[in-house]
Amino acid sequence: MQKRRDVLKLAAGTAAASFLPKKLYAQTGTKKLSILTWNIIDMEPLFKQWFATFQSQNPGVEIEWLDKKGPELPAFYQTQLAAGTPPDIVDIQGGLGLEWAGQGALLDLTPMLDKEPAVRARFNPEYLANWVFEGKNYLIPFYVSKSLLFYNKPLFKAAGIDYAPKSLDDILSYAKAVSGADRTGFLTLNFDWLYWPLFRMQGVDLLTPDLKKPTFNTPAGIETADKLAKATADGSINKISWTGRWVEPNGAFAAGNVGMMHAHSSAYFFVKTQGSWITPETIGIAEVPGYWSTPNSHGYAISKGARNPELAWAFLKFATEKSQAMEFARGRTLTTANAEVDKDFLAELDKNDPTAAAVLRTQIEHTDKLTGNWRLSDDSAVKNIVWAEMQNIFLGRRDAKTALADAEKKVERELRRA
Amino acid sequence: MNTAPPQRAGAAGSADAVAPPARAADWYRRKRTREAMLVACFLLPSLMIFFLYRILPLGWNVILSFEYWSPLKAARFAGLDNYAEMFLEDDVFWQALTNTLIFILASPIAILLALAVALAVNSDLKGAAIYRTIIFLSYPLMSVAVGIVWRWLYDERGGFINFVLRGTGLIKEPIPFLQSFGWALPSVILADIWQVVGFYMIILLTGLQSIPQHLYEAARIDGAPASARFLRITLPMLRPSLFICAVIGILNSFTAFDLVYVMTGGGPAHATELLVTHIYNMGFGETRFDYAAALTVVQFTLLVILTFLANRAVGGNAGSVESA
Amino acid sequence: MRRRSHILRHLVMALVCALMLIPFYWVAKTAVTNENIYAYPPRILPLKPHLYNFVDVWYLIPFARYFANSVIVSLIAVAGNIVFNAAAGYALTKNFAGKRIVVLLFLSCMLIPFQATIIPAYLVSARLGVLNSYLGLALPLLSTIVCIFVFKAAFEAIPASLQQAARIDGLGELRILFRIMLPLAKPAIATNIILSFIWSWNAFLWPLIITRDVTMQTLPLGLARFLAYVEDTTGALYAFVCMVLLPGIIVFLMAQKEFIRGLTSGATKG
Repeated sequence: MQKRRDVLKLAAGTAAASFLPKKLYAQTGTKKLSILTWNIIDMEPLFKQWFATFQSQNPGVEIEWLDKKGPELPAFYQTQLAAGTPPDIVDIQGGLGLEWAGQGALLDLTPMLDKEPAVRARFNPEYLANWVFEGKNYLIPFYVSKSLLFYNKPLFKAAGIDYAPKSLDDILSYAKAVSGADRTGFLTLNFDWLYWPLFRMQGVDLLTPDLKKPTFNTPAGIETADKLAKATADGSINKISWTGRWVEPNGAFAAGNVGMMHAHSSAYFFVKTQGSWITPETIGIAEVPGYWSTPNSHGYAISKGARNPELAWAFLKFATEKSQAMEFARGRTLTTANAEVDKDFLAELDKNDPTAAAVLRTQIEHTDKLTGNWRLSDDSAVKNIVWAEMQNIFLGRRDAKTALADAEKKVERELRRA
Repeated sequence: MNTAPPQRAGAAGSADAVAPPARAADWYRRKRTREAMLVACFLLPSLMIFFLYRILPLGWNVILSFEYWSPLKAARFAGLDNYAEMFLEDDVFWQALTNTLIFILASPIAILLALAVALAVNSDLKGAAIYRTIIFLSYPLMSVAVGIVWRWLYDERGGFINFVLRGTGLIKEPIPFLQSFGWALPSVILADIWQVVGFYMIILLTGLQSIPQHLYEAARIDGAPASARFLRITLPMLRPSLFICAVIGILNSFTAFDLVYVMTGGGPAHATELLVTHIYNMGFGETRFDYAAALTVVQFTLLVILTFLANRAVGGNAGSVESA
Repeated sequence: MRRRSHILRHLVMALVCALMLIPFYWVAKTAVTNENIYAYPPRILPLKPHLYNFVDVWYLIPFARYFANSVIVSLIAVAGNIVFNAAAGYALTKNFAGKRIVVLLFLSCMLIPFQATIIPAYLVSARLGVLNSYLGLALPLLSTIVCIFVFKAAFEAIPASLQQAARIDGLGELRILFRIMLPLAKPAIATNIILSFIWSWNAFLWPLIITRDVTMQTLPLGLARFLAYVEDTTGALYAFVCMVLLPGIIVFLMAQKEFIRGLTSGATKG
């Protein structure tokens, strides 16, 4: 009896093993860790160092590092998932982490965080809470950014305006005043819902706190959408706010004929290289009235199919330790949501590049006013529905009232379906 | 080697032609099976590749379309739920379907353009090789670059097209090509035509090169004018090439994926959404592979119908021509 | 009369070419500068052109390795295409039972977008054990239906009398294909080479999915790595596409002399 069971087990094992891609099969002897990151291949030298250090601390570990760009990473990951060979650690941007958590692809990190409160205490709690889905925490912060407002001081001076807005109406009136022949007054990025603070600051939210019903179809919501549509129509808001992605809007602001740009911190570093007019004196840095912002952060997750979850967790702890996180922040000039690291790094940066420090400071302030992400597994489906109607409104194809009513119906249907 | 009795036309009456019927029939049967086996062998390698990488995946999609599934979740039977959702609730699907059809219907424009170009460079025009190369140049260019550069060309403020149109006084206000619901799809189609016309050109050139010269000479001797030579000789002999172009035009509605993705992302508000971008978004954006599979099946059915119609239009059998 | 129509044709062709070249010029111009493509007003001439974008790539990524990978994969794909497609195209010129079904089958195989086959194609390759290998990269591209039909069309234009004569002389089908049909279908071979080369050389998504080893990446993937190094500024992106574009153009130039009418059509006379 035992012999037959052994034979069956051996047969099953061989059959299963024959499905494994040759490479991984060959490595079941040593401990292997595979890490997939999101478009940070330029950090290769730093990561090589990290891997060497980690390997000296954990002998016998092999590390495979993969890096893919944003549009292709989901396709790559899902394919590997379907084939049963997902990378152990994944760097995920924004709400996609919640979607994959809902799919059951990620490991719940709450028990690990509970067991080691010191690790949990490293992070800014609001950024950490960004990735809590159905009460479980699936990602820990890797590096974070959120939206803020840049403005073109010379253009404001020429229009005779002192920049001190207190509401959306102020911003829109500034935009009107600055816009002109070939200038526009205001531009926003829209991917990952970076534009949402414009609504949130008017008290309009997408869903109820229990995430069960849409709440954007209110008089306030309609009014806000209407205002934005009118401002787009008269040229104060640059139309590529609603259709552009990265290069276009940033390129336009860098060209120097846009009054304000609502974007996240990485945009600053990009436009600085493209726009010769940008100097510490000419670029204005502010938050929107009310300090609302949409985060566009990256988090580390562990795949549920990871072969060595404890090893993966050990690496995550290592990577978010003060020295590593500090090196990463220095290497890319960003904030990591590791509170101590951010404080120290910004103190350093203040001396070398005060403007960059000012930009980054906004990324870790007012983190109680984060919006633009809803902890649903079909968060992107809901967003796609609403965004399509928003585009209809802002570009003048439909009026706010009917478009938002339509969107509300479709969102209700989607929430029921999920 | 071949031990069959030689067949010579008009050999009736000779001793060979009066071979006993049974042996001849037997020989024919063996010859037919030999031929059939040969045909099968010749087709096999290609068929294998297609079986592995097209037919199997299609089967996977078909099965998946009737299930609820995602990687890591066990499959549950869904019956027609995915299809019901598609036809009854998914406005994006209908928009994508319309856009896909418009895209396909725009391909004859590109084909005609390419035909004119192919005819022009097929002649003894000096410098034809240079023209050929320049027109083909856009095809090997990666769609990512095509998309980004055309996106810039269409830009409302900094773009070249508006710059020229306003500079020459043709328009007063700049046209927001990719931000306007009316202009977006035609703009993408134009960029696609720019990229693909070289491709059509070489297919048609290959076809033109295969037309035997003596047909033209005979026609010239008979005094047929150029238009008659074109309509009676060139066009019919080009049927297989035109069919290939028609099919490529149908294919274009999804090979243009990169272009659409980069230029507009399907926007604004799905004005440039194609079935293929919707499939990709459902699959890898919203992680709904089962629904994406149903969309694939529907798109496949649509394209098969269109290809079948195109085949009919060129006289069946992919437009094959009986050679002289 | 002849002269005028010639000049007219040249003018029209020149206009068409100019239109085709405008976007091209902008790609090339941005590749040699790092200027903001959205600068207003658009600058016609490049400001301070330099070749750094083209040079840097040698230092920042293992360019030679990626180039070699692409060459190997494309060679396999082109060789496979010519052999398999010619054979299939030839078979399709014969009449056999079920031919219509096979033709329709081939046609329908084309109608499935790659995006819908990513996962199953990967699983198939995994089962075959060709992940991360040159064969795995080239396998889905070893035969393409468009090119089969190009061969079919070319073969059909060859008079049956030639094939009959060859059969009478006792040549087997394989020899007929290689000795008689292919030499008379040079434009079709050229088209096959050009298209299969371009499709395999430019392939991006499939190599991305099937290679996990960085050393197995093909050139477009490798150059995309380069982009991240230089923060996606548009200058580098365009240098990247120019570099990927060049081999395709070279192959086209080498193969396109087959498009010149001349000796190739001699054998079909009478």
